[in-house]
Amino acid sequence: MKMAHKKALSRMIAAAALAGASTCAVAADTIKIALAGPVTGPVAQYGDMQFIGAKMAIEQINQAGGVNGAQLEGVVFDDACDPKQAVAVANRIVNEGISFVVGHLCSSSTQPASDIYEEEGILMITAASTSPDITDRGYQMVFRTIGLDSLQGPTAGNFIVEQIKPQKVAVIHDKQQYGEGIATAVRDVLLANDVEVPVFEGITAGDKDFSALIAKLRQAGVDFVYYGGYHPELGLILRQAGEQGLDVRFMGPEGVGNTDISAIAGESSEGLLVTLPKAFDQDPKNAHLVEAFKAKNEDPSGPFVFPAYAAVQVIADGIKIADSTDTEAVAEALRSNSFETPTGTLSFDEKGDLKNFNFVVYEWHADASKTALTE
Amino acid sequence: MAMPESLYYLIQQLLNGLTVGSTYALIAIGYTMVYGIIGMINFAHGEVYMIGSYIAFIVIAALAMFGIESVPVMIVAAFAISMMVTSAYGYSIERVAYRPLRGGNRLIPLISAIGMSIFLQNLVRIAQGSRDIAMPTMISGGIDIGPQDGFHATLSYMQMIIFAVTLITMTLLTLFISRSRMGRACRACAEDLKMTNLLGINTNAVIALTFVIGAALAAVAGVLLGMYYGVINPYIGFMAGLKAFTAAVLGGIGSIPGAVLGGLLLGVTEAITAGYFSTEYKDVVAFGLLILILLFRPSGILGRPEVEKV
Repeated sequence: MKMAHKKALSRMIAAAALAGASTCAVAADTIKIALAGPVTGPVAQYGDMQFIGAKMAIEQINQAGGVNGAQLEGVVFDDACDPKQAVAVANRIVNEGISFVVGHLCSSSTQPASDIYEEEGILMITAASTSPDITDRGYQMVFRTIGLDSLQGPTAGNFIVEQIKPQKVAVIHDKQQYGEGIATAVRDVLLANDVEVPVFEGITAGDKDFSALIAKLRQAGVDFVYYGGYHPELGLILRQAGEQGLDVRFMGPEGVGNTDISAIAGESSEGLLVTLPKAFDQDPKNAHLVEAFKAKNEDPSGPFVFPAYAAVQVIADGIKIADSTDTEAVAEALRSNSFETPTGTLSFDEKGDLKNFNFVVYEWHADASKTALTE
Repeated sequence: MAMPESLYYLIQQLLNGLTVGSTYALIAIGYTMVYGIIGMINFAHGEVYMIGSYIAFIVIAALAMFGIESVPVMIVAAFAISMMVTSAYGYSIERVAYRPLRGGNRLIPLISAIGMSIFLQNLVRIAQGSRDIAMPTMISGGIDIGPQDGFHATLSYMQMIIFAVTLITMTLLTLFISRSRMGRACRACAEDLKMTNLLGINTNAVIALTFVIGAALAAVAGVLLGMYYGVINPYIGFMAGLKAFTAAVLGGIGSIPGAVLGGLLLGVTEAITAGYFSTEYKDVVAFGLLILILLFRPSGILGRPEVEKV
């Protein structure tokens, strides 16, 4: 019995070794890029944004002759925006010998996964995680092509103070790294400007009933609410606030700026304020790219589509400059050069963050369209 | 008669709590009935609630497609079809995950029920996608209690419907259990399953019926909450199931009035905690309450102490 087991095991190892050998043979003229993010789960639509942007970049770079004669190949990994699964995904990426990652999406997934990438010398560019902590650990292999919460929070906070001028603001968050980070930054700006914040508390992501919270906000007499988190919860809060007669304006970060919020909240999503990266698809420079997305029946308007495109392009350009797929050389190339991408001219600082990235305040409408209120 | 604002605030939070509590109670009955008769927890029950929500959504969407837009027709159809389909699910769960394993170690059906739960969740995920699905608001508006200028409590029509449906369902169930022939058989099975079988009652049918009734009540909760919150996804069954299970244990598992009481108590505790302390601690206090009650009254509020059957 034991022998049989051993035999089966050794046969499996042999098969695995063979499979490994065959991928190595192909790897000579393809460079694999892992695309890690949620394919399933409640925030899967943000994952889609990242995937379609990255895949478009891979396709166009390959059509233009690839990178140093090699073709790029995107491999999708599903982390479901779950930190545990993100670590499992990171380990699989290590095992498959992939050296470049575009992802992850949720900051709480990116953080633990990036520990593994840093240790294994895998170069990671996130196009969506905005938590400052991710690039705050002196890592050499971690970059991002999107702005930071520490930038988004003050943008929102200053807009509230200067444009809305409310008396009492409630700041609510979902107790997750991303939501609580931004909410705290917004609260700090408000308090520094002598705006009262009588309610600052967390809800549980995935909760459905916010009636008790809304009654509390009504009683506290707040005239503005900032929410740090994602759209499923804010959508419900808006809907229930509408039903319970809490008639105040809401604001949220780019995690709520999604057409689904209008599907969930309906009329109550009218007038919602959202900080989003600049709408790159509105930029006339990118018209040909927008056409390419539309030709594939994909929506280029999501906030992470173009940053993901830029992430792939930056990796490709970095490999060209370094003239090697050695991740340390590529990381060095990223730090010391600037790159022309559809999201503008990008250059990275020592931490791996973009040197210049602007968030814009948008007003959301019930039909899921939006109008820019700031430049 | 001027009442202070804080009183209206309390009324509002009680109303909020009772609404949530009513639906916990509806789901909790499914747990408690099954436990009362076969002494096992049906861990797939939360998923039945989730499926109930989805069926309601599909029925409403289908009716809208055929141009039937009358709200009462939609709601009645959603309830009827959803209860029918989930009854079939309840029956199948019993046949597949429980009956073949009955009489064995008690842990085995527990594991098979957890497996069933994962299976159902993923079945819906694959069939309907993992994203949130939004249901249109069908019933809006409500009544205000208190002064219009200051803080006033609001009771929405949807909340009223939830109270009314819960009350009617509970009354019907109580009548069924206490008056009907089948109800008497249910009580007999709860008393002593083997003896009841020896006396010529088809206990298999009674157990199947328990699963079917539990599933139908979970569907009622699913339809109500789907309409109330307006958003469903394949994962809502887990937390709802956990809360309802807590409610059932709180009230005394095996006791139907206990499940109702436990559900309402849990809902009100959550609302009061969120309203007077912090939303962050709502689940902490709810589950803390469960631990406290189990420490001092292990059989729950209305539960009978476990007597070792010889």
